[in-house]
Amino acid sequence: MAIALKSTGIRQVKNSLAKWLITLGGISVLFTLVLIFMYLLYVIKPIFESAEITKVTSFSIKNDQAVLATGLDELQELVYTIDGNGDINYYPLTSLKQKVDVNNESTRVFQQSLSENKLVQVIDAGTDHKLLLDELGNVSLVSPKFQSIYDSGSREVIPNITFPLGEDFIPVDEQGIGFTHLSFAMDDERAVFVGYTKDQRLIKTTLIAEDDFSYDPAYEIEYQQIELANNQVNNILLSPDLAMAFIRSEDQVLVFDLSDDMDVKLKATIIPQLAQNRANPMHLTSMALLSGGSSILLGDSDGIVSQWFEVATDNGREFKQVRTFNVSDSEAVSKIYTEQYRKSFYTITESGDVGSFYTTSEADLWGGNLTGNIPDSFVISPRADGLLMFNENNFQLFSVKNEHPEVTWKALWQEVWYEGYPEPEYIWQSTSGSDDFEGKFSLVPISFGTMKAALYAMLFAVPIALTAAIYTAYFMTPGLRKKVKPTIELMEALPTVILGFLAGLWLAPIVETNLPAIALLFILLPISVFVTAFVWHNLPKNIKNQIPETWAPIILVPVLILVAYISFSLSPLMETYFFGGDVRQFITNDLGIDFDQRNALVVGIAMGFAVIPTIFSMAEDAIFSVPKHLTSGSLALGATQWQTLIKVVLLTASPGIFSAIMMGLGRAVGETMIVLMATGNTPILDWSIFQGMRTLAANIAVEMPESEVGSSHYRILFLAAFVLFVFTFVFNTLAEFIRQRLREKYSSL
Amino acid sequence: MISVSPKTILDTTTKIDLNNMSAEQKALDIKNLDLYYGDKQALQNITMSIPKGQVTAFIGPSGCGKSTLLRCINRMNDLVDHCRIEGEINLHGENIYNKHVDVAALRRKVGMVFQRPNPFPKSIYENVVYGLRIMGENNRRVLDEAVEVALKSAALWNEVKDRLHDSALGLSGGQQQRLVIARAIAIKPEVLLLDEPTSALDPISTLTIEELINDLKKQFTVVIVTHNMQQAARVSDQTAFMYMGDLIEYSDTNTLFTTPHKKKTEDYITGRYG
Repeated sequence: MAIALKSTGIRQVKNSLAKWLITLGGISVLFTLVLIFMYLLYVIKPIFESAEITKVTSFSIKNDQAVLATGLDELQELVYTIDGNGDINYYPLTSLKQKVDVNNESTRVFQQSLSENKLVQVIDAGTDHKLLLDELGNVSLVSPKFQSIYDSGSREVIPNITFPLGEDFIPVDEQGIGFTHLSFAMDDERAVFVGYTKDQRLIKTTLIAEDDFSYDPAYEIEYQQIELANNQVNNILLSPDLAMAFIRSEDQVLVFDLSDDMDVKLKATIIPQLAQNRANPMHLTSMALLSGGSSILLGDSDGIVSQWFEVATDNGREFKQVRTFNVSDSEAVSKIYTEQYRKSFYTITESGDVGSFYTTSEADLWGGNLTGNIPDSFVISPRADGLLMFNENNFQLFSVKNEHPEVTWKALWQEVWYEGYPEPEYIWQSTSGSDDFEGKFSLVPISFGTMKAALYAMLFAVPIALTAAIYTAYFMTPGLRKKVKPTIELMEALPTVILGFLAGLWLAPIVETNLPAIALLFILLPISVFVTAFVWHNLPKNIKNQIPETWAPIILVPVLILVAYISFSLSPLMETYFFGGDVRQFITNDLGIDFDQRNALVVGIAMGFAVIPTIFSMAEDAIFSVPKHLTSGSLALGATQWQTLIKVVLLTASPGIFSAIMMGLGRAVGETMIVLMATGNTPILDWSIFQGMRTLAANIAVEMPESEVGSSHYRILFLAAFVLFVFTFVFNTLAEFIRQRLREKYSSL
Repeated sequence: MISVSPKTILDTTTKIDLNNMSAEQKALDIKNLDLYYGDKQALQNITMSIPKGQVTAFIGPSGCGKSTLLRCINRMNDLVDHCRIEGEINLHGENIYNKHVDVAALRRKVGMVFQRPNPFPKSIYENVVYGLRIMGENNRRVLDEAVEVALKSAALWNEVKDRLHDSALGLSGGQQQRLVIARAIAIKPEVLLLDEPTSALDPISTLTIEELINDLKKQFTVVIVTHNMQQAARVSDQTAFMYMGDLIEYSDTNTLFTTPHKKKTEDYITGRYG
């Protein structure tokens, strides 16, 4: 009895140990899955967060001169002011930033005189450039940059002031009268000024570099006057590529073409629809050029900002109103400030209400009143993570948390009208040739590509895999089945990179050069199988007995090889007689269908091969496990083998067949290497069998190594991964759900 | 055990001389039948005649070949690999193993019910009309009538008439077996083969099926394989005792169970082996 009790004890320990281990395994699998899910969500979350603007600090400065411009460095450690005396004064921010929302006083750390002349205006002139303007219309271009030095183990930011066009003032107005409005832009070869003088002349002054402005400020100067119909100028803006000048003249914008140095032509007139027939007619109140210089933003007295850019139409390129933003319901848009590197802009109304918007995604990011008035100076920090406002010798610094304004649910899944496109479209183009164009992140083309690749693969795989499964499970002799089934299942272990490699580099060129042969194969192979089967069936018994029944299907092999050989030999002939010598030319020119070498046909075949073993194996098991007593029952009622197959076997095996197809589909959706190597990775929306596609999985594989960690692109790739996860999750859940339902139905078999 | 009076024996009005039947009396005529599974011989030189409109039982110990012989009658053994049959079975004077015989047509004339109830995963209605549908009958009225007739013949009509379109898998084992019988008789076969039809059923279902068999012989020739000697005694008119692939004794049931001619038969029915 004692022994029995002891052994029971050990058994109990083993039993509970096994129970715990198994429970632990199960829970850790679930935990891992949840962890992956949570991590994906954690990375994705920031792109859907709204913008936040919070006050960091405010401080006053002692200055008896009028401050004409302010600025700050990238790291927000120093701010500067340029005053009417032509002095630049620097104030430190580092010590102040800790004391949140306190009115401190800051003392100047550095001062330098930029000019001898008294200044009347300082004009922002693009990245890091300030244009100093004196009373007589002479200007000096100054670039108050910053430099980090690392002395004694700590970083210090110090000013670094340069004069790209030389320290001497440039006589921009030939007649020396002075400007009311002036705009400036330059590249390495030219610097262009367009200004409106106090005596109502619109002039263009061009400085042509003798060599290159990036290292030699020497230039030749050229003066021109531009004809202007009405003598009213409210704003002048120059596009950074020096091609266009936008002149707001009351309620319209005149666009001048500057590309020809000698002859300035009026290119277009933008006339916004403004309601005039009412008590207080609408007027334009502000204008700004969006980053990149292709779009112009117009603010009006009704509080609406409209975006305009050139769109290709039947009459050439025309400016079109693309979208509008409702900034305020009652107040006019007083000022529009645009970010340097992104398509974002800020608006200020008369009462000082600040709004933050992103053009392309049409996102209204933030709204609120920060200072209660229109500040004298409004500076967006170089990294767009801070706002510096200056009013009556008082600085206010705000931090901006707005890292992914271009991503909205709408921009990801709906048509977006990008700059330069004739109409809204679904586009995935994460990087572009120039920084002036933004990344285009529509998940529609790549989700579509995933579906298209899976669909063509299934079109190829399902008929082959299912018929093979039916034949193997139901008609094949047991001896041959024992060999065939493991062989096909072995195909599943074939690395997909090899399939992709073969598809891209071997199959694609063959398909391209032998297109008629491939089409012929799809028709002739099934026909030849039927014909062979029919002939074999009607052969005399003594011939049939030559081959053991187990190996009878082998007689198909030479037939299939022969048919393939004939198809490929006929291909050039067919090309010559039916397609005018070149099928590709015929498809492109006569049928008007684009033809890619790596197309859906190649992907369908290659990925079909990868999916066939999955579907075959599961479907075969399902068909083979249909109880024998059911088939006998049907046969005993006088049904033929075929009738039994259709009416009993397939019906009973349907849960298994269905889940086999769904598993195949799940695999096709998630497949990466084959689509990566054989699709051409073109993110286009087109069902054509002769066009490529880009799938979610391939897209992640291609772009993840290139994307900057934490950028919108990076997070959108994670979102794509999440979408893929959801796709496969939905397919598998649906498959499991339907399988359970069907299984319940047939459970008592 | 439920006691059943051997009324079938009492009901038998005309005694048939099994060795000298007229052609009209014969439903099946088995001549010198040998059956091999590969090299192993499973049936040896079976010769017997099965009379029309009567119940004939095959009894014998496990593996004696009684089921195999039954399955020869509708050529279900064709589906077994390496199975070879010599000799002949005549149905209306025609050898069913002739080359040009359509096996499907043969099986429509010789229906079969298996040991385990095997309804298809379809509705009760669709199960009964299955045989008609595969023959191409789709007329709703014909099918409806056939269902009613078949289910009534199988004594199932009253139990299922209100749920004809429910799944057949929801029926009890006994009901399923009667449904399978209804399915077999819906196509009006001439011979009905029953392969241990009650071995998977409870005693009450068994009783119902046995009563049903008694009714069925008015319309069909019934051949039943059974493991249960009492059942053979209760339901059959003739009984064949088989042992190790040989037909040992074949005579009317009363004679076989009361005055067997062979020692082996007596040993078996008195329970000395089996």
